[in-house]
Formats: sequence, C-alpha cells, structure tokens
Amino acid sequence: MDIKTFLSNKGEVPSEFIEKVKHIVGEENVSERECDIISYSLDYWLYGVFLSQYGNLPSLPCVVISPKNHEEIQGILKYANENKVNITPFGGGSGVLGGAIPMEGSAILNLQRMNKFISLDEMSLVAEFEAGIIGANLERELNHRGYSMGNIPQSLYCSTLGGWIATRAVGQFSTKYGKIEDMVLGMEVVLPDGNLLNIKPVPRRSTGPSLKDLFLGSEGTLGIVTKAVVSVHPLPEATIKLSFALPSIEAAVEVVRRILRDDAKPAVVRIFDEAESERYFKEVGSKVTIVFISEGKPDFVALESSVIKKIAEESGGEPLGENPVNIWLEKRFDIGAGPILMQRGGIVDTIEVVSLFKDAAKLYDDMMSAMKAVEGAISVSGHFSHFYREGACLYITFVGFPKDPMRYYKDTWTAAMEATLRNDGSISHHHGIGYWRIQFMQQELGAGGVELLQRIKCALDPNGILNRGKLVEDGR
Amino acid sequence: MSKMEDKKELEQITNCAMCANMCKHSCPTYLATGKETITPQKKARLILYEEKAFIDDEQGFFDVMFQCAMCGACKAHCIYDDYDLRKFIQRGRSKAFKEGILPNDTAKRIETFRRFGNPHGERQLLEKGTGDVGYFVSCSAYRDQQLPQAMDRIISASKEQVHEFGGADICCGAPLYYAGDTEGFKKVAEKIKGEIEKRKLRKVIVDCPSCLKMMTEIYHDAGVDIDVEFVHTTVFLNGLLREGKLRVNRASATATYHDPCILVNDEGIATAPREILEVLGFEIREPVYSREDTHCCGGLSGVKIGDAEVANKVNLMRIDELKETAADVYLSACPTCKSVLSDVDMKDITEIVADQIIDE
Repeated sequence: MDIKTFLSNKGEVPSEFIEKVKHIVGEENVSERECDIISYSLDYWLYGVFLSQYGNLPSLPCVVISPKNHEEIQGILKYANENKVNITPFGGGSGVLGGAIPMEGSAILNLQRMNKFISLDEMSLVAEFEAGIIGANLERELNHRGYSMGNIPQSLYCSTLGGWIATRAVGQFSTKYGKIEDMVLGMEVVLPDGNLLNIKPVPRRSTGPSLKDLFLGSEGTLGIVTKAVVSVHPLPEATIKLSFALPSIEAAVEVVRRILRDDAKPAVVRIFDEAESERYFKEVGSKVTIVFISEGKPDFVALESSVIKKIAEESGGEPLGENPVNIWLEKRFDIGAGPILMQRGGIVDTIEVVSLFKDAAKLYDDMMSAMKAVEGAISVSGHFSHFYREGACLYITFVGFPKDPMRYYKDTWTAAMEATLRNDGSISHHHGIGYWRIQFMQQELGAGGVELLQRIKCALDPNGILNRGKLVEDGR
Repeated sequence: MSKMEDKKELEQITNCAMCANMCKHSCPTYLATGKETITPQKKARLILYEEKAFIDDEQGFFDVMFQCAMCGACKAHCIYDDYDLRKFIQRGRSKAFKEGILPNDTAKRIETFRRFGNPHGERQLLEKGTGDVGYFVSCSAYRDQQLPQAMDRIISASKEQVHEFGGADICCGAPLYYAGDTEGFKKVAEKIKGEIEKRKLRKVIVDCPSCLKMMTEIYHDAGVDIDVEFVHTTVFLNGLLREGKLRVNRASATATYHDPCILVNDEGIATAPREILEVLGFEIREPVYSREDTHCCGGLSGVKIGDAEVANKVNLMRIDELKETAADVYLSACPTCKSVLSDVDMKDITEIVADQIIDE
C-alpha cells in the first residue's frame, strides 16, 4: 500500500481475536481489506482531510468490525479486553476533532449497521432509534409522522444520533428546541467491560448523579451508545423569518440578550459579523446581520416575533426582511468551498467556543485579532450561532495559505484557545475534544478536572481499550 | 483506469473525496449494509487513490465499484453542480471489464447477452402495430408479459396508432454498460439506432427507466444520437388520460407508488405517475423515502449492482420500507422494480390503468 500515515502506523491484532469476532458478527462483517482500512482511517478532522488528498492518512485501523446489535458489541468488547485490543467506535465519521481516528492502529467498531427507527410515542412525545441512524434519516422518519426532533446541525446529512450524543452536539434550531442533552431521555449503552446499561426514558429523575450525562460527551471513551430515546415536537404550524442589520457585534449581541431575557425563544438566532454577512448576503453588504426564525403555533409565533421586532428596532436595528433568512436556509449545508480551497493548498477549519454575555463581544474581538495575526492567515470570520439566557456560542471560520501548514494550523488553534481562556470562555461549545483539542484540556479543566476525568475513565475502562488517545490522554 | 488528464475531472473527484459525505444519507447500498467504504465520498477517495496508484488491492477496488446501485441518489443530493460520481465509478467498471475481473452475476449476465443479444436468453421477435409512434418493449417487460399486454389494451382502447417492437436481440444494452463493456455497449447503441430508424419512428414510448436513460443520455455519451422523441410510459399514459382518450373507473383503494430510482433521479419524472393515480381515484400512501429520496429496488442481479449480496440487502430494505405503508396496492413504473419487489405484489402502473379502462 502506498498510503502514508502521519499519527501512527497500522496496528496489529491477534488472529485469535479476529477469529472470535468473526464468530460473533459473521465473516462478512469483519474486514482487513485495504479499501476498508483506507475508508475508516479518518473522520472529518479538516487537517487530516487536507492531507488525505495526498494519500497521507492519520492512522490505519488493523481491522474493521461491523456489529448489528448490542449483544454483538458486548461479545466484541469482552474479547477485546481479554486480548488487549484497542477499539475505536465509528459513527457517521463526521466529527471535526479526530475523535474517530483509530489511534495506534486500533480496531474500528463500525456502528452504522444499527440505523433503524424503532418507535414513536405520540402521547409522551418521545421516539426511539438505533444510534447509528443518520440525522437526516431520523428527521425523515419523524417528519413523515408529523414530528421533528429539532436537532439540525450542519452535519445533519452525515452525522449519527450516537455521534450527537458522544460529542454533546447542537443543532441550528437549538435556542427553541435545546441541545442534545436536553433532548435525550434514555439510552442503551454497552460499557467497556461488555456489560449493558439501560437508562430508562423519563423526563427527569433524582437517583444520584445523572448516569445519562456521563455518556453525553464521552466521545466513545466510556461506553458505546446503541439506542436512544429522544424528545420530539409536532411540526411547526407557522414560521416567521426576520432579520436586522446592526452597527456592531456588541450591539447585535445586546439585542439578542434582551430578547432572550424577555423569554422569547426563537428557534434560530444567528449573528453574522461583517465578513460573513458580506459572503452570505451580498445585498446587505458589510454590516453585522442578525437572522431569526420563529416557529410553532401561530399565536405564539406572532407574539414572539413582535417581541423580537420591538427590541431590535428600539436598538437601532435596520429591518432586512425575510430574504437574508431564506439565503441562510438555502446555503446552510453548503460546505463545498472547503475542499476547493484545500486542493489549492488552503488550510481551512472552524472553531466554536462559548462564554457568558458579559464576555461575548470582547471574546469575539480578542479571538479574531489573535487568529488574524498568525502568519499565513487569509480570512478569519465569525458568527454567534447558539444562544442561552446567559451567553452564546461563537463560531469562527479560518482560512490560510501558509508556507508551513502544520505550523499555521497549530498556531491558529493555540491563538484561538488562549484568547478564549483569557476571556473566561470554554474551549468547545459542541464539536467536542477528540484527538486535536486534548492539548488544551489542562487549561480548560485544570489539572484536577483532567485527573477526575481520567479516574472516571480508568474506573470504567481499566484496560483503556475504548477510543484510546481521545478526550483524556490515555486515561490511565 | 485511464489517467485523468482532464484537470476539471481530477478537481471534481478530489472535491468529492474531501467532502463530508453530505449525500451518504441517500445512498441505498450504504443504508442497506451500513458499510462506510461504499458511501459516495469513500468511493471517491478510493477512485482518487487508484488514479494516483496508491492502492495495491485492485480486486478489492473493483469489488467496491460494483457495490453501487448507479441510482443517482448521490447526484440528486450533491452539494456540487455539474458532477456525477457515477461517471467515475463507470470508468472503474470499464477497467475491471478490460481486466476480466467481474462479479460472478455480472459475468453470467454478459455471457447470456453475448449469446442471445439480451440479458435473459433466447426469445421471439415481438412486432405489431403500425405508425410513426413506437413502443419499445424492454427486456424486463418482455419477460413480464403482463405489462405489454396492458399496453396493448390501452393502445386499443385509446385508438392510438402504435408500432410495438422488442424481444429477440433488441435490447438497449444497459447490462453491457453497467458491466463496463464500453465497446460492446456502443455496438448495441448503433444497432438500436438502426432498429428505430428502419421503423421510421418519430417518437418512442419506453417502459423501462434504464432503457430511457440509455437512449436519451448514455448513447449520446457513446457518440450515438437518435433523432426521435423518447417518452416514458407514465408520461404517455398521463397524456392519454388528460386528453380524455381513455375512460376509466375510479378505484376506492389506497396505493403506494415506488419511485424507480432512475426515473426520478435521471429523468425527473415523479409527478406524472401520481397524477395518473389521482385520476384513477387512488388514495396515495407515500413511503418515508419517496420522490427524490426514493431507494433503489436492488435491481436485476448482476446489472446495476454487480455484488449479489449487496443487491439482496438493498432489495430487502426497500421491501420493508414499502410494506410499512400497508397500502392495498403497490405500484411502480419500471418492469425491473416490479419483478424484484414481488414480495409486495408489485404491479406496473400501466397494468392498473388497463384494469380500470371502461370498455366502449
């Protein structure tokens, strides 16, 4: 094979393990073929994607195993512990921090055969799915029956429900429908030792620390989610789209803060800086733009949109109508520019962080100037994409054409993370940690926080077989 | 595979290879198997690597090329304009054909084609009627028999002059095309051009979406152009109903229409069949995956999907999706879909139209 690797070499796996696993999942679901090894070597970590065009992949798995249910996964993990085989779970492969890269050439556990809709409980407004279902297909199943989960990330068409849970994901309509942790009521998890944990779906419980939350954001290091019960909403009967131009990021953030303080909960709220407004909305030009989508029952939507209009206009917002919202809706899944730039030698990536409102505008200014100052930077732009009564997520996109790609990539990330920490922000809002962000975890959580995570990891996975090299380094 | 000298093509496949796999949700072979390797973006990565000679396991690469439904779902859901991954997969298949490395079912299908000029074996020439409007009876329809019989009844009731032809060695050549036999396919395209021209037709009704795609698009790509108007049966039937040339009873039943993948993704036909069902009085029950989100039926073994195991999984998935509607009647507009979806007692929409005709 003329494929090069840049993080670790292809792993070895005992033949005894392979034979046992074939017995569990069937020979056709265990592969060591070159095409499979290449296909499960990388997720959507964009630096890895950049290098992949040259046949340079981060790490090649020793084997790809595709189970069809939790019983098979239980058997696989039991033998993996006995044979000390490292396992990397692989959902949709859409994670952007390298969380699904098979470090040290570990075995891939492909979870995409488990992709079925199971049931809908219209009385309780919950639905159950296998965790390997792609988001778009989950939505299709629900929409067909008159419902939506309301989790619509940019990766809707390529990420899985299990991946959303593993990374504590968030969708574009999060201000109304909540984040994944608000949506998941119950789940089925295979623990690293092969035991099965069933967390039954109830709206809330007081039974000690929330076990459910242990797996939300665990990135495949603490267990493998095989099914989940999520909350659903009837499809909205009415939609109102509004947009406004504001003189500055600070003014725009203040408008949204006041709207949320008044208990309005529009499904979509996004503030685009001048550069992104110009790119998205040609007719608006270089102005800070806020877009809102209010949806639900007609009476509520009418009331909510009147609150939005009143506050935005009182604050000097220039009404821009529906058009910018429609343009955003049309373009929101278009990631086509990334591969085009990367083919020309461009380094492209996105970074999402979160802070309280009091720090938001300062964080934006500081992060932008720090990232723009890195040698090789061509474009740095941002938007605020998810809001709470207390604060917001800031999402920055950067492009560089550097002489030394890795230097530029690392320096830009470091500049962004240091600016975030300086302004009391948190280093990730919804993309997670994966492989690449581990280097900033000490600064984020402190030594005590990292050690606590490592001790939890060690207690659940003493052999350290699950998703080695992610979230908490090694973990032992 | 010939080296991609065309810079645009190399850019296109590299874009696809570096995309986030934004169309994988639509890919029936992926959904039925759960295998990442056969998602469109990973196929593109493998094609790029094969082009750059990074791949040693050529057999494995060819296997993946034949694990595609060639249904166009990825094209329909692509974020890039003017790009069709199938063109590149087709080249992979052509290379496999040249090297004589074909899946067993595909090789058998080709062998039958070489002997009889069609993918099914020995058969009679079918020729009846007159006029400059032709009805091309596809191989699957010929085999099915009920579909051409239904068309006969419709033609008779509508008093249209139609020249029906098919059978013997009259086949559009799709099995050769999907097997990667580029030269063999071109010869068939020229033969069919001759068959149409010698019958002096100005318009040809085609009952099979794949035949229609071959005649309207792939023949042209192979350098063979036929100067006639091609229409799918559903468009022809919808026209007859709208023009009042057929009197039909109204049914009182529920019907699920399975969109044939090529018909909706390549020919853009999804409305005409539904309009027919509305005229016939059926209450339409859509499956979760319909219109441009439809899934391939799995196809005839060894043709679009060369890998029999993958084809079987796609077929079972589609049957389950259709059964979920619990409709009284299941209908399609492709004789191959009809034959492989027999578990739901699939009928062609042509048969239902014929059944509902009020005899004068």
